[in-house]
Amino acid sequence: MLPFFDFLRNLDLLGTVFRLLLAFATGALIGLERSYKNKPAGFRTHILVSLGAAIASMTGLYLYLVLKVSADMSRIPGQVITGLGFIGGGTIYVTRSNVVRGLTTAAGLWTAGIVGLAIGAGYYELGLLGLALVLIAQTYFGNILEKMSHYPDFRIALSYFEKPQLEVVMRHCKDKGAAIANLQITGSKKSNMALYSALLTLRPDSEINQDELLKEINGMDGIVSAEILK
Amino acid sequence: MEYLREFNMVSVIVRLLLAMTAGGIIGYGRSKRRKTAGLVIYMMVSVGAAMALLLSLYQFAMLKEGAWAEVVAEIGMKYDASRFASQVISGIGFLAAGSIIVAEHQQVEGLTTATGLFASACMGIAAGAGYYECVLISFILIRFALNVMQPLEALYKRRTRNIDLYVEFDSIEDVNKITEVINSCKASIHEIEVERSERSGELNPAAVFSLRLAKEKMSHSEMLASLAELDCVYSVEELIA
Repeated sequence: MLPFFDFLRNLDLLGTVFRLLLAFATGALIGLERSYKNKPAGFRTHILVSLGAAIASMTGLYLYLVLKVSADMSRIPGQVITGLGFIGGGTIYVTRSNVVRGLTTAAGLWTAGIVGLAIGAGYYELGLLGLALVLIAQTYFGNILEKMSHYPDFRIALSYFEKPQLEVVMRHCKDKGAAIANLQITGSKKSNMALYSALLTLRPDSEINQDELLKEINGMDGIVSAEILK
Repeated sequence: MEYLREFNMVSVIVRLLLAMTAGGIIGYGRSKRRKTAGLVIYMMVSVGAAMALLLSLYQFAMLKEGAWAEVVAEIGMKYDASRFASQVISGIGFLAAGSIIVAEHQQVEGLTTATGLFASACMGIAAGAGYYECVLISFILIRFALNVMQPLEALYKRRTRNIDLYVEFDSIEDVNKITEVINSCKASIHEIEVERSERSGELNPAAVFSLRLAKEKMSHSEMLASLAELDCVYSVEELIA
């Protein structure tokens, strides 16, 4: 631990003000990146979370160290961890295509809370270190999987008449070495003729000739059109 | 000031009133914005949190020098004064999580309300403990975050490079035209999420496009306008989280 912070570790006025302001600032920094990505939890949300966690942490200490009440000073801050878990849980949902969303938001809120706890406890080194790591994780590792995969995903928009046609197309794509990463289907009714549309996201596991694949799909029966989205 | 840090009738009244005023003022700002949780809810949450802590302070006082002191002398002090207050935090977590909803086009709403309640409950606990410095400063900071920073956040979000657009169009093949326009604006597409919209009895495809705009500044409205120019596009809407 750094002696530099020692004069701020007590729960006097200076220590109180410093903790709350620092918790405010860390929440804002973590949230700024989320706001930039247009995510539901922005910097105000993160500020409130890390501020609240710091208050809880400080009140726990205050009971025992200042008021000298028989209390377990880790209990109040400890419940922040469960409480924020619930709030984070509320942000997670499943989309129509069965993709789980909101996990990063939930985890980010929760971690912002833990950073707030550390700062409230006066363990500034841990809080600032945690802040740095969270910021690095958010900005640099956000889409590392995309960058690492050798063959990029591509999307095909497909229109067809009969439902079984999609099955045939999907099997064909799999045979060609492209796994279906995501499939979205929608129906449209135009002049009493049922027409189905699908948006396929393909994940090739080897070099794949996209134009040839497209030509093959377009040649199939019952396919109205197939296009690759650039 | 030292008198108010002790546990007596006057300090209990002061703490409860402090929790009520601080919570009320924060809640008033939310009421004015017509948010689900307003004046009364914030007041109740922060007073309730303060009461939970005062309750355990009372029990501790009784054990220490009150009527229950004999029991303590006999079996020793087995009491944790932070247990009530700690459960306030997870309890408010439940309550706050219930205020979060996933609205149309999968927009998550109510998060600020949820975290605002969470922070106010924490502030209420500090008020119950008589940690006045902490209450006053956190009151200012919470109010600042909830009420003053809102326009700031809106301003910031209008200038980010990442936007989500909800587009209604004629048929699924038109996705290609739309992506062409997006590419010609040098924006990259993260994701396309197809939905379905119903317009005068006809079912049309619709999709949420998550984009990242080009480094050279292009405003969000320019992007919207260039998509709206397409004949196959019925409507374009920017989704702001």
